[in-house]
Amino acid sequence: MLAYVARRLALAVGTVFAAVLITFLLVHAGQGSPGAVKAGAGASAAEIAQANHELGWDRALWVQFADTIGHLIRLDFGTSLIDGRDLGHDLFTRLPVTGSIALLATLLSGVVGVVLGVTAAVRGGRVAQSINSGAGVALSLPAFWVGILFVYVLSLQLGWLPATGYVPFADDPVGWITSLLIPILTLAVGGAAMIARTAAVGMREALQQEHIRTLRAMGTPTWRIRYVHALRYASVPVVSVLGIQFIALFGGSVIIENLFALPGLGQTSQIAAAGHDFPALISVVVVATAVVVLTNLLLDLVVAALDPKVRTA
Amino acid sequence: MSVQPVTDVSSVAGSEVATEPVPPVARRSRVPGFLRRPGGVFGAAWLAFVLAASVTASLWRPYEVDQQDLANRLALPSGTHWLGTDALGRDILSRIFTAGSLPLLASVLMLVVAFGLGLPLALVAAERGRRVEGVISRVTETLMALPLIILLLAVIGAIGNKLYAVMAILGVLISAAVYRVLLGVAKSVRQRLYVDAARVNGLGSLRVNLLHVLPSMARVAAVQAAQLFGIGLLMVAGLAFLGFGPGEPQPSWGFMIQDASTHIYDAPWLMVPTGLILAITVVAANELADAIAGKGKDEKRRPLRRRRVVASSEAPPADPTAVLEVRDLCVAVDDGPQLVTGVSFSLRAGQVLGLVGESGCGKTMTARSLLGLLPGGVSVSGGSILWQGRELVGMSDPQLNAVRGREIAMISQEPMVALDPMFSIAYQLIQPIRRLRGVGRAEARTIAAELLGQVGIVDAQRVLSSYPHQLSGGMAQRVCIALALTGEPELLVADEPTTALDVTVQAEILSLLRSLVRDTGLSVVIVSHDLGVVADICDEVVVMYAGEVAESGTAAAVLDDPAHPYTMALLGANPHVPEGEPVPLRLASIPGTVPPPGSWPTGCRFATRCRFAREQCTVPFVSLAAHGDGSVRCIRVEELARHHATWDAEAVGAETAPDAMPDARPDATVEPAPTAGALS
Repeated sequence: MLAYVARRLALAVGTVFAAVLITFLLVHAGQGSPGAVKAGAGASAAEIAQANHELGWDRALWVQFADTIGHLIRLDFGTSLIDGRDLGHDLFTRLPVTGSIALLATLLSGVVGVVLGVTAAVRGGRVAQSINSGAGVALSLPAFWVGILFVYVLSLQLGWLPATGYVPFADDPVGWITSLLIPILTLAVGGAAMIARTAAVGMREALQQEHIRTLRAMGTPTWRIRYVHALRYASVPVVSVLGIQFIALFGGSVIIENLFALPGLGQTSQIAAAGHDFPALISVVVVATAVVVLTNLLLDLVVAALDPKVRTA
Repeated sequence: MSVQPVTDVSSVAGSEVATEPVPPVARRSRVPGFLRRPGGVFGAAWLAFVLAASVTASLWRPYEVDQQDLANRLALPSGTHWLGTDALGRDILSRIFTAGSLPLLASVLMLVVAFGLGLPLALVAAERGRRVEGVISRVTETLMALPLIILLLAVIGAIGNKLYAVMAILGVLISAAVYRVLLGVAKSVRQRLYVDAARVNGLGSLRVNLLHVLPSMARVAAVQAAQLFGIGLLMVAGLAFLGFGPGEPQPSWGFMIQDASTHIYDAPWLMVPTGLILAITVVAANELADAIAGKGKDEKRRPLRRRRVVASSEAPPADPTAVLEVRDLCVAVDDGPQLVTGVSFSLRAGQVLGLVGESGCGKTMTARSLLGLLPGGVSVSGGSILWQGRELVGMSDPQLNAVRGREIAMISQEPMVALDPMFSIAYQLIQPIRRLRGVGRAEARTIAAELLGQVGIVDAQRVLSSYPHQLSGGMAQRVCIALALTGEPELLVADEPTTALDVTVQAEILSLLRSLVRDTGLSVVIVSHDLGVVADICDEVVVMYAGEVAESGTAAAVLDDPAHPYTMALLGANPHVPEGEPVPLRLASIPGTVPPPGSWPTGCRFATRCRFAREQCTVPFVSLAAHGDGSVRCIRVEELARHHATWDAEAVGAETAPDAMPDARPDATVEPAPTAGALS
């Protein structure tokens, strides 16, 4: 068990390292330079060279990489090339926004998806078919388009929720959740479809297990067979996919944050990409990769805890 | 947009499709299978249409993409602009289809890169064994753990807004998912017999891959490609939505939706055409994937309600002392062949009845119908099961639930999978004890420990806190028996309770059953193909062949003096020898196999395999009384008895029957391989 955790941790650190390396190499393979970004449009070649020199861009590649890694280890993310803001502080305020959207959307997808999937597996027939086809369509819809539809219906036509904007939790908790509701609903459409399909397959498989026949032979009430025993059996794949959903929604929030003007990681990564803000790019990649890797680690532990075979080993 | 369907590909295709590699088979029809499903036809047709219309857009589009009609800005569909116009009065139809070729071609490029890397890596990893596979798998695991969209934004930030290059890099990242799924297929194909045989035959590695591995991968790869194609489309559109697409005035789907979102107040129609075209195209890709995967056929509608059968026998039980009286029981697949026909037997309290016969004779179906636990799509189609005077056939599930566990309990063939792997033994015992005996949790735990003691488990407390996977087969079967006893039933249905166990454990479980019968007055119906078990424990025996009773009676009478050739054959093929008798040098065998349901011969169903069969055996006839209360279904029974017929082993190389029976047919081996030992 200990060796397993150690191996997983090594892989996690390796993944973050790989992400930094890939981004670093891409940045240096491109034609631009940080000096050109910092000096701004219309700067002369000498000004750009001077700016690059101040940023250390003219040093050997491996020295720069070691420097980058050294700063990251000390959690020093540097400053933005464009507005000189402290990136560490910036990420610290943005992470909770993206994190709460992804987490709440995952929870909502989980609840809706499990209800739909279990219904499909238990009812079968036409109900199962319509849930399955509905999930197929939901998975194919571009989230940004669904978001616009929600804004049109919930905000413009019904006036229930604000269309865009973000209210910090500390300022107004109710305003906070209403400002996040449409983004969460938008992300949950595809998420719930994914969970519904997984839950339906898992429940169907669970209900075909031999031990379900033992329970039936004992006269166990149907609700207990379905919602205690079969659901517990199906919980392992469902929880795995829930974790994968969180990762997907975390990444998917880039577009959603842009659509709803939410000050999260996605927004900053879009601005950084558009402005070739190299330190900001690397810092966003590091944070996002770390979140993904930590989620995967946590997921492994939860799945292990769910399975008696692993737990008792 | 999110990347979630990537995981869909690896998990769903990996588990459902990849584990079932399709061996290359000769095509029966020229039309590929996926085009025979409506979803597949729709998907392929729509993708072909969008691709053709997009690539040729410059030839047919009614307006140039940057041609502004300022008098008709934000117009609704009309004769001049079929899909309306945008804020600059540009024609939406022309722009949508002009924009189409970029996402379609960029997604194709992504696929080419992803499969160009993933496929060779999978082939190499499957062929080169563990070390190589380990290295490649570590690298792909790392790739799959990267946040795709944010990394792509970093790529754009670094190399600029070059969409084809970005999608090629996405292809590199996604190749990890392709590798994962295809590796699963490649490994399982390589383990298959026909590839081993091919390798022994001296085929080179390249030819093994070309002839065997690649064709088996084709379907899984096609499914994954179609799904990834849809993801590619969403990705291109999403990037364009963020402003990383072809710049204005060049149209792109994502940016047109972005544009529409800014006009949601004054022109909501604007978001409809582009969004729908994009959504339908992705749906088409996914439908195509589902059709290739062959999904949808197993979604066949199950009848919610089983056929209700009105019990045919209103007559009082023939034997007033019987607790269980089965009369003319018929079990059939709904709208399909009969599995069991006209089976009758009865059982008195405290007695053990054995159902014996080869596999596929309907023993298990008969046993399971006693509890109303037939598999889906199979139901009792006639006859009656009287349990303590009550008719079980036609009872609803809730009514049967009152009988199950409390009056009739069951133990099954596979103790290792009969217990829920997710719950402790304590939970699985305490739960029914509380429900069936109406006691509290603490008392239920005491009873559970007592029950475990009763089935011969010494360290009950340790077993209670265990999970099923921690038990041995014999231990698990004891727990199953304890579980069956929680409701203090009067009848135990045991479906091959010892088959999956070691020989020494078999004997222990049998003696446990015997002592339970002796001590508690339990009645038992035991299904077995082992005549040793039957001789050991049964009072009554019912020999079944091809869904009907061949012979029945008391165990002593049937086993000592078999009247039906099938019973004789089973005894002759039985490797167990009673103590004191000489061990035969050769065992008898029964040529051929049990005919499957639906293809039973008329007349005697055993005739095709019977040594003693004659012309008259193909005519239908009823069973005759024998062994007192029992029966035998053989038209030649008296004749055979007169000649003291036996079913002995054939002598090696014997041309004729060793015991010169009248009309004996030792050469009735038209079937290719006589089943040695006959009992499978």
